[in-house]
Amino acid sequence: MAETPLADVHPPYLYPDYKSTRLRAPAQPLVRVPPSPLEAVGPAFPKGFVKESEADLTTWGKSAPLGEKMVLVGRVLDEDGRPVRRSLVEIWQANASGRYPHPVDDHDAPLDPNFLGKGQVITDDEGCYRVVTVKPGAYPWQNHAFGWRPAHIHLSLFGNAFAQRLITQMFFPGDPLLAIDPIFQSVPEAGRNLLVAELDLEQGVEGVALGYRFDIVLRGPRATPMGL
Amino acid sequence: MPKPTPSQTVGPFFARDLLWEGGGRVLFPGQGQGDRIALTGRVVDGNGAPVVDALFETWQADAGGKFPSGGEGARPYGYGRISTDANGAYAIETVMPGAFKGPGGETYAPQISVAIFARGLLKALHTRVFLAPLEQIKDDPLARAVGDPERLQTLIAVRDPANPKLYRWDVRLRGAGEAVFIEL
Repeated sequence: MAETPLADVHPPYLYPDYKSTRLRAPAQPLVRVPPSPLEAVGPAFPKGFVKESEADLTTWGKSAPLGEKMVLVGRVLDEDGRPVRRSLVEIWQANASGRYPHPVDDHDAPLDPNFLGKGQVITDDEGCYRVVTVKPGAYPWQNHAFGWRPAHIHLSLFGNAFAQRLITQMFFPGDPLLAIDPIFQSVPEAGRNLLVAELDLEQGVEGVALGYRFDIVLRGPRATPMGL
Repeated sequence: MPKPTPSQTVGPFFARDLLWEGGGRVLFPGQGQGDRIALTGRVVDGNGAPVVDALFETWQADAGGKFPSGGEGARPYGYGRISTDANGAYAIETVMPGAFKGPGGETYAPQISVAIFARGLLKALHTRVFLAPLEQIKDDPLARAVGDPERLQTLIAVRDPANPKLYRWDVRLRGAGEAVFIEL
C-alpha cells in the first residue's frame, strides 16, 4: 500500500487498544484512486439551511445550562492555507456532567434539561466559525479498566468536496486524561497537538465565558490531481 | 503548509445529533426526472455481526450524470445520510444516477459514493457502489484499479429479481467478503 501524504497525522484503522477497531477496521489495504469529479464537489448547504441560533448551544432551554460557559472559535482552512468558505460545521457533545442525551448513553450522570448538546454553523467568507457552549465533562467508558474519555467536542465538516469530509474531536489543553485515551493516542504523535484547542481568552466574553480556538485543516488541492 | 486535522471516530452518540429531521433518506424529493430506485443492505463487522451504529452517507449524480447542489433553503438533493438500525440495515430512496465523465474523458459507470462512519472507525471508510452489473462497469476507473472481479463484486449492488426498482448492497467491513474501500 502506498504511503499517503496524510498518513503522518491520521490514525490507523486498526488500533487494538481501542477495542472497537478490532472487528471494524478493514483487513485489506485500501485501493488508492483519485477523487472522482463527483467527489471533487460536495453537498452545498444553502443559505437558510442553518439558523443563526444553532451556533449557540446555551440558549436552547428555558434557562442557562449548567457548566462552564465557553466560546469556541476557529478557522477552517485547506492544506494550502486557503479558507474553506460557506461550509457546514456540525458539533455535538456531552453536557457538563459528561452525559449525552442519547438513548444508548447509560452513564449515571445527570441529564441537563437545558442542554441538548448539538449545534451547527456555516463558515463565513474567511472560513471562520464561532459557537457558544459549555465545557463538556469527562465520562467513563467500558473500553478498559478505569477508562475515562477526556472532555471533547465532536466536529463534523463537509468542506467543499465529498473527498474533504471529516469527522473529528477537539480536546482541551492540559487534560491529564489525554494520556490514557486510546482514541486520542491512536493519532500519531505528530498529529496529536492538532486536536487540542488553545485557550484564547480574548475570544471569550469578559466575565461570562472562556474562549478557546480550534482551527481545522481539511485536505486540499495538493491531495488530488484535479484540485478540489 | 498546514497539516490536516487528524480524523477521530464519530463515536456511538451521534444519531440524535447528525440525523436530520425529515431525514437524509429520500434523495431528490419531488423531482420527476429519472427512475426512482431504493438502495438497501446491511453493514456487518469482522464476525458478520450487524454494525448497529454506523452513520452511512451517500453522494451521487442526478439521472443526467450532473452533480446536484442545494436549492435555496433545501437539503442538497444528491446527499443521503442515514443510520444503520438494530439489524445493521440502511436504506435510501433516490434516482438512478447517470454515468459521468472524468477529466481525462474516462467514463464513470452509474455509482454512488459512500462514506461510512462508526464507533470503532477512527477514519471514514470511503467507497463507491455500482448500480450496474460487472460487464457494464469494466471501464470504470475504480473497476480498473480493483481488477480482481471477485473483489469488485463487493461493490456491485444486486438488482432484486422480484422488484427491479430495488438494489441490495451489503457491506462487510472486515474479513471474508470484505468490501473494497478506497483512499481518495
